[in-house]
Amino acid sequence: MIDFLLRLLQGGAGNLAAYLAAHVLLCLLPAFFIAGAMAALIPKESVTRFLGRNTPRYISYPAASLAGSVLAVCSCTIVPLFAGIYKKGAGLGPAITFLFFAPAANILALAYTGVAIGPDLAFARLSLSLAFGIGIGLIMALIFSRDDAAHDKINDESFAGRRSIRRSVLLFLLILVALLLSGTLKIGLLTNAYGEINLPIPGLDTFQQALYQVVPFDPGKGEEGVTAQGAILIGLLALIGVTAWLGFENILERSNSWTWISLGLVALTLLVASVQLNPEVGGLNILITGKLVGVGLALVMIWLIGRFGLEEREVQEWLWESWRFIKQIFPLLVVGVFMVGVIRQLIRPEWIETLAGENTVLGNLAGVVFGVFMYFPTLVEVPIAKMFLSLGMHRGPLLAYLMADPELSLQSILIVSAIIGRLKAWTYVAWVALFSTLAGLIYGAWVDGASAGMILLYLAAFMGILSLALYLVSRRNLGKSAQTMAAVK
Amino acid sequence: MLTIKVLGSGCANCKRLEQLANKAVMEMGMQAEVVKVTDYNDIMQYPILSTPGLVINEKLVCSGRIPTQAEVTIWLVNAEMEAV
Repeated sequence: MIDFLLRLLQGGAGNLAAYLAAHVLLCLLPAFFIAGAMAALIPKESVTRFLGRNTPRYISYPAASLAGSVLAVCSCTIVPLFAGIYKKGAGLGPAITFLFFAPAANILALAYTGVAIGPDLAFARLSLSLAFGIGIGLIMALIFSRDDAAHDKINDESFAGRRSIRRSVLLFLLILVALLLSGTLKIGLLTNAYGEINLPIPGLDTFQQALYQVVPFDPGKGEEGVTAQGAILIGLLALIGVTAWLGFENILERSNSWTWISLGLVALTLLVASVQLNPEVGGLNILITGKLVGVGLALVMIWLIGRFGLEEREVQEWLWESWRFIKQIFPLLVVGVFMVGVIRQLIRPEWIETLAGENTVLGNLAGVVFGVFMYFPTLVEVPIAKMFLSLGMHRGPLLAYLMADPELSLQSILIVSAIIGRLKAWTYVAWVALFSTLAGLIYGAWVDGASAGMILLYLAAFMGILSLALYLVSRRNLGKSAQTMAAVK
Repeated sequence: MLTIKVLGSGCANCKRLEQLANKAVMEMGMQAEVVKVTDYNDIMQYPILSTPGLVINEKLVCSGRIPTQAEVTIWLVNAEMEAV
């Protein structure tokens, strides 16, 4: 019994350590700072002005998805903006598109999915969410077109503001994205080693062996061990946690020396994570990779722009928003990853394989149902999906699960139904479930070798029919309202 | 007397804004009541697209960001002058 509990704990700790060491740093750390920059530096008016009531549909739907990916990194924006678009702005359709696209396309979810599971799945999640987000929006607008037409036609002043993104802010965001990409992309230019340094630090190789003993792992099950480099990174991460608490908590009032120490540690961590450390007998072999050059250059650029291109207040707000996201999401993620490691020990691969090992309708449905009824904190869906993948789940049902889980949870359904009413909310849920299943099937078919062109053709035809139907209905409504106007006169 | 409303469902930024409003009121030595509005239907009565929002005497002065204390003080003084 004690043996069993110990095995569970080891599973949890091992999963956590492997995650913190390998994936989290080079992708999540920059991603948090990008999310912070988006929240603090992009004026909301730059996107919301395209979401007013008088905006034509071919602009408002893409703008709604853009708002979903750029503005909506946290619920502070998602719910008010959703209600605003629905009640005072472009209407139910774009509001639904926004709501659907936001959790799948924000920078944190995309970066994490790409690094932990694979860029192909991140890309599938993005493009299929975009297509289906707009699709569901159009369908909802079609079904409830009468309610939408009943809304007042006055363009609300909340959508009238016009501010655009400053050029230095745009550059700043681009460099941050470059930092993320140069740390995570697996292309030769970045992963090749261009030089090496040998440091006479003995003992690291035995340290690494000891780590393998403490955190046993099985590569066959998709588990990863903790290397000496990983252990160093976890140490650095803990230091960042402490110094960030001292330095960022009151950043909006003033920065202090802890702020600078913490930022220095973040930079150091990113640099250490981007080289390759090989502990050898009697010394440490460091490979200078292309990643190191890329990350280093990006860091210098970020410092230069932050120092000369942005106002002090903007930098403070950027750091505060980033820190707020880290504080809000990271602890839950750590607990979640630990729990996934524990549960991993209890699930037999055969169960998953029989249920969703192949790309069937039933398998995809199973993924969706699991996603709807389980509620996990933001981003925890990714390690869970990784666990399913290593247990033998097909990538199709996996995508179905990844689409359904963040979109639908009991909590979000309740909030949405408070705003748009129960009937509309449950109709939305039904469409999301259907479309997630469809997305899984399509992606699964592509993984199994169906040609991409045919799939795209089907998708395009489907979207075309939908928009045509919507166009016709809206014309009929317009005609009707014109008739009633005439009758009144 | 001023009525100050802090709009927000309880996220970190909303709590921060509430502290800030209380502090500004204290330092000005004003007669004011700070109310937290957490219900989304009540929040949406104001023209706001993201929380936190700050309302002084039923007028929305700021939304979607945390203002500085100096800004809050100016808004408070303006509202006081208008009320007289």
